Amino acid sequence: MIFLQNIVGIFSEHGLAFLKATWTTIAITAISLLFALIIGLIFASFKISSNKILNWIADIYIGVIRGTPLIVQIMFLYYGLANIINLDSFTAGALALGVHSGAYIAEIFRGSVQSIDRGQMEAARSLGMPYSLAMRRIIFPQAFKRSIPSLANQFIIGLKDSSLVAYIAVTDLYNTALGVQGENYMPFETYFVVGIYYLIIVLIFTWIAKRLEQKMDVSKPKEVSIA
Amino acid sequence: MIEIRNLSKSYGKLEVLKNINLSINEKEVVVLIGASGSGKSTLLRCLNYLEVAQSGEIIIDSDKIDIAKTDLNKVREKVGMVFQHFNLFPHKTVIENIIEAPIYVRKKSKSEASAKAMELLKKVGLEDKANFYPEQLSGGQKQRVAIARALAMEPKVMLFDEPTSALDPELVGEVLQVMKDLANDGMTMVIVTHEMGFAKEVADRVIMLADGNIIEEGHPSDIFSNPKHERTQRFLNQIL
Repeated sequence: MIFLQNIVGIFSEHGLAFLKATWTTIAITAISLLFALIIGLIFASFKISSNKILNWIADIYIGVIRGTPLIVQIMFLYYGLANIINLDSFTAGALALGVHSGAYIAEIFRGSVQSIDRGQMEAARSLGMPYSLAMRRIIFPQAFKRSIPSLANQFIIGLKDSSLVAYIAVTDLYNTALGVQGENYMPFETYFVVGIYYLIIVLIFTWIAKRLEQKMDVSKPKEVSIA
Repeated sequence: MIEIRNLSKSYGKLEVLKNINLSINEKEVVVLIGASGSGKSTLLRCLNYLEVAQSGEIIIDSDKIDIAKTDLNKVREKVGMVFQHFNLFPHKTVIENIIEAPIYVRKKSKSEASAKAMELLKKVGLEDKANFYPEQLSGGQKQRVAIARALAMEPKVMLFDEPTSALDPELVGEVLQVMKDLANDGMTMVIVTHEMGFAKEVADRVIMLADGNIIEEGHPSDIFSNPKHERTQRFLNQIL
């Protein structure tokens, strides 16, 4: 009962702060994932390319990112790069999260492009379509559709990983929880509350992703065959 | 129309085509036969450069193809190809499949491309399926759409790579009929097929390949009733 009272107390006292922090978490996640999608697309193209140098560049990038902890990447970018160019913590955090997710998204894109039957490319090329046009019009749309479940998964991981930017002083959800529990000495209740915030965001996102997946499923008949 | 000179192709050490020489006239229907691994599909795929030969030259419609210099996309526009597994674009409707290349390669307007596509669909008897997705069609219908899609680019030559091999037996006839009509319209066609009845009826010339060589060629009536080469005899005995 006291637990519930405490939770209600946290909501009424810090609700606004958490709401602001929710916005920060969503914003930093969205920006980083947009960035990650672009990086992913570029490095997936590098990996698929027949150019050996591009392959190596992609392999090195993906290898380094996957081989080091995200928190190290965030710290490295924020404290390392901040010496050279002036980065605020939000930008550094979004950059680090984007560079991180980008490596995984590159692999997701590469996998789904390579899963498309080779006959699709052959058919497109045999119709006179140049490679890049065939990629853009024929291969990528099919590959993208196939990558949605894995992308959604990666987005959820990205959202939760964004909590690590608290360590470079971004006032996201997790950082707000850190502050609140330092103030009220109720870590149990405070982390419970922040957990609920994350959970709700993930559930909403999962629902959107599911809808998108259904919408993208072109196999649903547009017309009913009478024949 | 097509002139192939000293064409050789190998995968690593395996020589798939050995010094092939062949010329195909305008409006001619040529059927390539041979056992699996004889190089017939490879030869066909070399004609639109889905496979790149190591040496030799190919002249299509008086354009000599030098892969370094020639714009292969331009060559491919002239050569239509129909595949064993149709390779329709599953994310596009029947009509979208057909108008894709005319719009994005030939830069035709959507209305012009669509009008032409409907005409072609009528020709292959599928005008009522224009807004269906490939997966809603039978194999025979898919292959007819694939033929219409290739024809939409107004090719000078049509290549068919075992167009009926992936079809249920009862669906083979409708595809062969479309091909027959096409031959009667005067299309230059090169066909890899195991449909000997069709070859007998439609082909002007049958070419037998074995181990990457052309070992025998001639009018279908001669090849089928009186094969000279021992390999041809054996092959025909097995297949007929």
